Amino acid sequence: MTSLLSLRGIGMSYGAVTALRDVNLDIAAGEVVALCGDNGAGKSSLVKILAGAQAPTAGTIMLDDTNERFRDPQDALRKGIATIYQDLAVAPRLSIWQNVFLGSELTRPPFGLLDKRRMAEMSRGFLARLAVDIADMETPVERLSGGQRQAVAICRALRWDARIIIMDEPTAALGVKETAQVLDLIRRLHAEKHTVILVSHAMQDVVAVADRVVILRGGRKVEDRPVAGLTAGDLAAMIMQRAA
Amino acid sequence: MQAITKRNLMLGGAALAATLARPALAQAMDVAIIGFQMSSETHARAANAAAAAARAKGWNATVLNSEGSLPRHAEQLDTLIGRRPKAIIVCMGKPVEAEAQFQRAKAANVPVITIMSGASNDTLFDIQVNEYEVGAKAALWLLGELGYQGNILTQRFEGNVGTRIRGKVLDVVLSENTGVRVLGTHTMARTASWRDDVRQGFQALLLRHGAQTQGIWASFDGQAFVIDDLLKVRGAKKGQVKFVSIDGGAETYRRIADPDSTLMATVTIPFEEMGTKAVDAAERIVVKGEPKGAITSGPYLFMDAALVDGNNVRRFL
Amino acid sequence: MIRRTLARYGTALAGVALFAFFALGSPVFLTPDNIALILKETAFLGILAIGFTLALVTAEIDLSIAEVASLAAVVTGALVHGGTNPWIAVGAGLVVGTLCGAANGVAVTVLNVPSLIATLGVAAIAKGFSFMLTQGVAFVGRWPASFTNLARGTLLGVPNLIWWLAGVGFAAWLLVKWTRLGAHLVATGEADEAARLAGIRTRSMKRLALTLAGACAGLTAVLLASSLSSAAPAMANDHFLYAIAAVLLGMSMFEPGRPNIPGTLFAAFTLKVLGNGLVLLGAEYYWQDIVLGTIILVSVALSATGTGKAPFVKKLNFRR
Repeated sequence: MTSLLSLRGIGMSYGAVTALRDVNLDIAAGEVVALCGDNGAGKSSLVKILAGAQAPTAGTIMLDDTNERFRDPQDALRKGIATIYQDLAVAPRLSIWQNVFLGSELTRPPFGLLDKRRMAEMSRGFLARLAVDIADMETPVERLSGGQRQAVAICRALRWDARIIIMDEPTAALGVKETAQVLDLIRRLHAEKHTVILVSHAMQDVVAVADRVVILRGGRKVEDRPVAGLTAGDLAAMIMQRAA
Repeated sequence: MQAITKRNLMLGGAALAATLARPALAQAMDVAIIGFQMSSETHARAANAAAAAARAKGWNATVLNSEGSLPRHAEQLDTLIGRRPKAIIVCMGKPVEAEAQFQRAKAANVPVITIMSGASNDTLFDIQVNEYEVGAKAALWLLGELGYQGNILTQRFEGNVGTRIRGKVLDVVLSENTGVRVLGTHTMARTASWRDDVRQGFQALLLRHGAQTQGIWASFDGQAFVIDDLLKVRGAKKGQVKFVSIDGGAETYRRIADPDSTLMATVTIPFEEMGTKAVDAAERIVVKGEPKGAITSGPYLFMDAALVDGNNVRRFL
Repeated sequence: MIRRTLARYGTALAGVALFAFFALGSPVFLTPDNIALILKETAFLGILAIGFTLALVTAEIDLSIAEVASLAAVVTGALVHGGTNPWIAVGAGLVVGTLCGAANGVAVTVLNVPSLIATLGVAAIAKGFSFMLTQGVAFVGRWPASFTNLARGTLLGVPNLIWWLAGVGFAAWLLVKWTRLGAHLVATGEADEAARLAGIRTRSMKRLALTLAGACAGLTAVLLASSLSSAAPAMANDHFLYAIAAVLLGMSMFEPGRPNIPGTLFAAFTLKVLGNGLVLLGAEYYWQDIVLGTIILVSVALSATGTGKAPFVKKLNFRR
């Protein structure tokens, strides 16, 4: 199996504190991989490295068998890795299309003015791909439900044609119904052959949508196996048992 | 709900504005008065007196306040000219800075009379006291009281034309009368907290020279009040130190008459009379059609400035 | 739908009602001369307030605009008064304003001083310099027509001041609403962190906005000096509270709760209509302040839900 993304010997230290040690991870195209672990296990550090927000202190990142180094989140995005953060993903008072095209607005010749109509149309198209139905692309995101907001954030990743979408605790602040919506969104992405890295504390979500689960503890990878056949309880036990 | 509230507020505002506006809508002699800085007592005294005089004649008088701001002053003049009042009276204005506005007024045949502002080709005349004369009166009163012998302290202010002239005239008078020596001078810095400035500065002068001082000269009454309070704290009695200042006004007269105060004399600038005079002049020129020359020749209309001391203060109280 | 329209245009309609009221109350009010006069007066306030709006778009507050404008006016005035080529003097005024704005920007984005404090500091420094240059005495004179025409002249029969206002207003509107740069300014103000994660250089945006605010102050200063043929320290201070009032009032219309250029311009115009109309109706001076204060309170109160959510308000912790 060829890997879309390969991590080799990734280490991360903040002064005397070591957050990650020698992490190896391979992710194939079209896979939904869950990244689990207790608080302080190293999930956030790994996400920040993949998102380009910080550089690892050891190891290499291979994307399509090429060595990569991300200068900043924008660089990672350009190379096809989009990260959706839990609460910082959207600008609440801006419209849907403004959020989808945040920082990468489309312009139109001859004067280079914003092409608002095209951005609204494209946003509508992205949302349709996720089977989310919102009539007015001018609607401020703050008026949307939590699930719809996640959809808008995902649309930004689609706008970049991101091959890998990292979702950081997408359901943490959501109710049951909205959580179901977000899981649906992930299934849609899966169906479209997008690669998704799902960081989550919610084991039932992992069981519901992930192909594979990777468990970190104390900065090390301690588990990496298919989800098939596992229950949420099994997963929780894996994290708890070894942490004890 | 919100809509109803808003509409009610708008209607209420309109009713309020209609109430405000009613007097001006009637057809009558309409005169506009601008005080450059109504928070300054002298500006307000002249402007309010003018308004009172106009209303006593049954005219409509509007008082505006430029709040010491030149842009606002110019804007108010521009707007007023559009309204075509029968006359505009400007108290302590700035004819050079507002030249463009005064030219517009002249072109629109709106006569402008200024009070203590300085002369301009585009206004009828400026009602003034002759500051040189005022300065000489104060200086000569002080020297006369001292018998042309002794030491004085002076409190000056160079930031205003009037007070600056008063100081210069004092210098001229002293240069002819060498028996009187200036032991110390404090010059007020132009700040919002000028009273503190005067208190601190003059306190220092009194500590150093108080014992040898027979006379005190202050460039305007506001400074004299601060100094008077300092002297009272030091236990000075009226007459021990010959103490003169300039401007006049109810508080000044009260202090001159008060045996516990040390202030002895002032030269009165008749701010109220200037306002009244401006309205009288407007009436003679606009209503009765008299030529400007019948009121004064030249760019100024000079008012008398009376010296007030213990001998005549009763008449002013 | 009606409610939404009212929220968006309610205060603007109130402004129109005010306009109609004065038109009924004074025969002079609607004359072309008077309308031109109000628009000319709006120019100073409007351009200054546009600067404040641009800073506020990035959720920064520029309290230095008036003192910076006064300093720029004094520098321009000193040069014109000294016989320097007026164009150089104008350039100097604009440069002084822009540099002060850039200083605000650097203080906020590099030194990490909150804008409320940084701009107060720059305001105090600007005030100090303008008193140093003038020693408190105004520069006044009959300055060359090439300079005074900037504000007093006309082009195609329309007063230059109105052209300036229209030009700056249009440019600012175009920038904010129709350019990528403007979209980034807005995103910076609306959601600093989300914008940064989306690759927007938020610090540069804040620096740019504060610099533009300074440039607007510089232009206001040049026009004021040209119009009054004089320059004095603190000469623009009268506009300070009115500029803030215009921006806040403007936030209650068109795009409720957000600083926006059309709102600022319309509010500035309304404030000047108010001053003009009350003078024409013969209301006493103190009524102007009372009515002005009432209008600000009422219109902002009616749009408070929107304004209260503005990021800069949260930043100031003004929220109940």
